[in-house]
Amino acid sequence: MRLPTGQISRFGTLKSLLQRFAFLSLIGLTFALMLIGKADTVLVERARDAVADAVTPILRVMSEPAAVVSDFVNNLRELAAIREENAELREANTRLLQWQSVAQQLESENKSLRNLTGLVPEPSATFVTARVVADTGGAFAQSILITAGQISGVRKGQVVLAGEGLVGRVMQAGQLSARVLLITDINSRIPVLVGEAGNRAILVGDNGLRPRLLFLGNKTAAAPGDKVVTSGDAEAFPPGLPIGQVARMDDGVVEVEPYVVRDKIQHVRVADYGLTGILTQQAATK
Amino acid sequence: MQATVLQRMDNTARRFVPFGVTLLLMLFAMTPTYIPGLSHITPMYALMAVYFWSIYRPDLLGYGATFSIGILEDLLSGTPLGSGALILLLCQRIVFSQQKFFNNKPFGIIWLAFALVAAGAGLLRWLCVGLVASSGFTPAGQMLTAYLMTVAMYPIVGGLLARAHMKLLAQS
Repeated sequence: MRLPTGQISRFGTLKSLLQRFAFLSLIGLTFALMLIGKADTVLVERARDAVADAVTPILRVMSEPAAVVSDFVNNLRELAAIREENAELREANTRLLQWQSVAQQLESENKSLRNLTGLVPEPSATFVTARVVADTGGAFAQSILITAGQISGVRKGQVVLAGEGLVGRVMQAGQLSARVLLITDINSRIPVLVGEAGNRAILVGDNGLRPRLLFLGNKTAAAPGDKVVTSGDAEAFPPGLPIGQVARMDDGVVEVEPYVVRDKIQHVRVADYGLTGILTQQAATK
Repeated sequence: MQATVLQRMDNTARRFVPFGVTLLLMLFAMTPTYIPGLSHITPMYALMAVYFWSIYRPDLLGYGATFSIGILEDLLSGTPLGSGALILLLCQRIVFSQQKFFNNKPFGIIWLAFALVAAGAGLLRWLCVGLVASSGFTPAGQMLTAYLMTVAMYPIVGGLLARAHMKLLAQS
């Protein structure tokens, strides 16, 4: 059927009007959503959990090829340096054996001293291992999605570690997935101890690669190479978890190089230390 | 000639190519790349796709589809809900309104125009996130790096999208 020209142009006008209406209402909706997100965080968090749970299986499949390629490249690199690495490892092994005997000696000494003082040991942590399926790193937020959620025992506020140190903490826990706020995120604030003197400071992320130390007493309180560990203040993190070392000091800005290399994290461990520093959703709304 | 059921199904599936490809690109942006030094800055892939389809197939990617992709991105990446959708919609609107300008332009001009659109989009998103998020404004340096990477990646992503366009949507 052919429409007369007049009808076509009227149809075209109607279509463009409808389009304009759709555009304006959707723009209005985005602003409304931004306001809702600010006012009702629980509702938005629930929506985020549900979407993350639904999309995680897809992301899991999509992240597989990159992981395989990365493993392959790493294997090649390791193969090339296998001889030197072997020599280094042998040397490290002899050194570690000496340390082992020292550790055994200290352990038995520790045990006997604990018996003498009647110290109640801290409860040990339970761990859940999960794969990283999405790194939603952008200029605005630094978080990762992992393949373990409430079903596996992951809860909001739990500590997330990789082999070398602290990765961050669980920000949201869905049923099958969880979002981890990285220590480099602009919202991350961690009470830490710096160097052997144990000077207190707060480690603050800025969405870059290196978080910074704030509220460090004075300029001499840190030096490049100083180790940074969690202090355990505020009970959000247990004390003594390794984070990184002071990398650069410039005009009062102290940058910390994290031990965990962001580009290499494929798996993380979610640790439950039974801490109560981060309020749970129910407790927060009460 | 009447199209068979299979042909009709095939045609319908092809109409979803722009939406599907944009969605895939948005998800791809989130998968870990394990490339040293690049994982903390992700280019705005979804913006590239929305820009591309708005120029070449405005009939197949409507405002509703763009909106849903933006919202999904916000929900997944933890950015303020609505901020990603807003810039995608505005980008689409700008391209739609300049349809005549984009018609048969060489790639260099399209790229240059993208650099402008992406600059506006990046700036607006930075403002939106800074005003809405409790953490305030993120350092402008990160935003600038993300922007430059977005502009630098456009020829590659645009090339792939053009291939998808020619292969899958040539007849329709």
